[in-house]
Amino acid sequence: MPTIRFLSADGTEFAVEAQNGRTLMETALENSVPGIIAECNGSAACATCHVVLPEEIMLALGPISEHENDMLDFAEAPRESGSRLSCQVKVSDALDNISVRVPAA
Amino acid sequence: MSEAVKVVDDVAFEELLANPYPVFKRVRDLGPVVKVEAANIMMVTRFDDIMAIERDPETFSSINPQSLLNTVIGPNLMRKDGDDHARERVAMDPSLRPGVVKRCWADSMRAICDDVISQIEHKGEAELFEELAAPIAARALADILGFDGVDWQTMALWSQSLIDGSGNYSHNPEIARKAREAASGVESAVDRMLPHHRDNPNPSMLSSMLQADPAQTVEQIYANIKVAIGGGLNETRDSILTLILGLLQNPDQFARVRAEPSLWGQAFEEAVRWISPIGMYPRRLTRDVEISGTLVRKGEQVGLCVGAANHDDRRFSDPEKFDVFREKKSHLAFGAGSHFCAGTWVSRALVSQIAVPMVFERLHNLRLKDPELVRVRGWVFRGPTHMPVVWDA
Repeated sequence: MPTIRFLSADGTEFAVEAQNGRTLMETALENSVPGIIAECNGSAACATCHVVLPEEIMLALGPISEHENDMLDFAEAPRESGSRLSCQVKVSDALDNISVRVPAA
Repeated sequence: MSEAVKVVDDVAFEELLANPYPVFKRVRDLGPVVKVEAANIMMVTRFDDIMAIERDPETFSSINPQSLLNTVIGPNLMRKDGDDHARERVAMDPSLRPGVVKRCWADSMRAICDDVISQIEHKGEAELFEELAAPIAARALADILGFDGVDWQTMALWSQSLIDGSGNYSHNPEIARKAREAASGVESAVDRMLPHHRDNPNPSMLSSMLQADPAQTVEQIYANIKVAIGGGLNETRDSILTLILGLLQNPDQFARVRAEPSLWGQAFEEAVRWISPIGMYPRRLTRDVEISGTLVRKGEQVGLCVGAANHDDRRFSDPEKFDVFREKKSHLAFGAGSHFCAGTWVSRALVSQIAVPMVFERLHNLRLKDPELVRVRGWVFRGPTHMPVVWDA
């Protein structure tokens, strides 16, 4: 099981065991990571599960859908080069030990 | 030990229509699930319970083939879950994404608001429901659907008739007839417009549905366009009026918003928390389940009262107050889960970035004509129904 290191906006780290196939959003909610609201529960409709990933992982994850890409421009915290909606990123071994930052809203 | 559902049987239906918030408070404090006889529904009213329910669509299902909504408008995405829902939702979304709203709809929405305001600007007084909010909401919706040449009065009549038909639990034949007329009116308009949108792909919802993969059937298009008309007009109309009302009643807050235009978005979110245009929607249980310790049986329907959750004093302090500057917390005015309002981003842009700022910019020294004349009504759908104002023309 990969470990995901969520870094909340106030700098607290939440290192959690994640299940492959679950999304980063589900993993964050199950571990009460602050700042992941996820109003639409994974439908990519609300942009309230915004996270910032390390850039090298972005390449490995492949292209972002047109829909998610549009939403990210309107998330509350400004978009960064590593921005994703955490509901659209599935946990896999490739994500083991990465740092997932929750930007300040 | 799980608790049984408590019952409230001394509330009159008229009390809910006039002002549901005192009833909501009583019900919220009584228990997590309370049967309110006047509304003939088990109400869930606490914020955290509704949020948890909306994360569990397998237990709390939207599927309800026998619902009046399905009878009136046909099988539609509001009463589906999972992949069946997602396929139809994805077919609409390309017209409603925030970036699409900004690039494709903002200019025409601005032109609509300009036109509507121009017609009243010189008069110095108006009734804002009929002369401002309803025409703006209806014309913007017609544009986004791709309904050329349908006037706003027709859109408004269709919308109200479909809503009334979907809530026609007493089977009133006149309401049923009007709903059937509206449904066939919408279908004729779709039939008339489809060839144009097939030949000219564009950002409108009809065009998005035609371009969707998998392609939408005409029955799906009919039904979901009716959902968009029944569910996409009054919320925008009501939130325009509610935001104006909140600011007119709180001049100190208005002064701060006016001085700092980036606050318009925050003011809008507070308006729809304060008086949520949609107060309740149903879910059906697929198994026996406890909701915060209260047992509800498989097959029963619960009403998720998001209007009540948005006034839950476990989450919001002084919830009855309109306070743009309250501690920032998410609300449930757009619902939650996979049925999260598809029109959220359209309404945010239209109401908070275009329509209401333009109203205050163009109608100088806007004020209520007489606070006593303002009417706010409804509980399943709630908003100002009558709002006379004056300004310096």
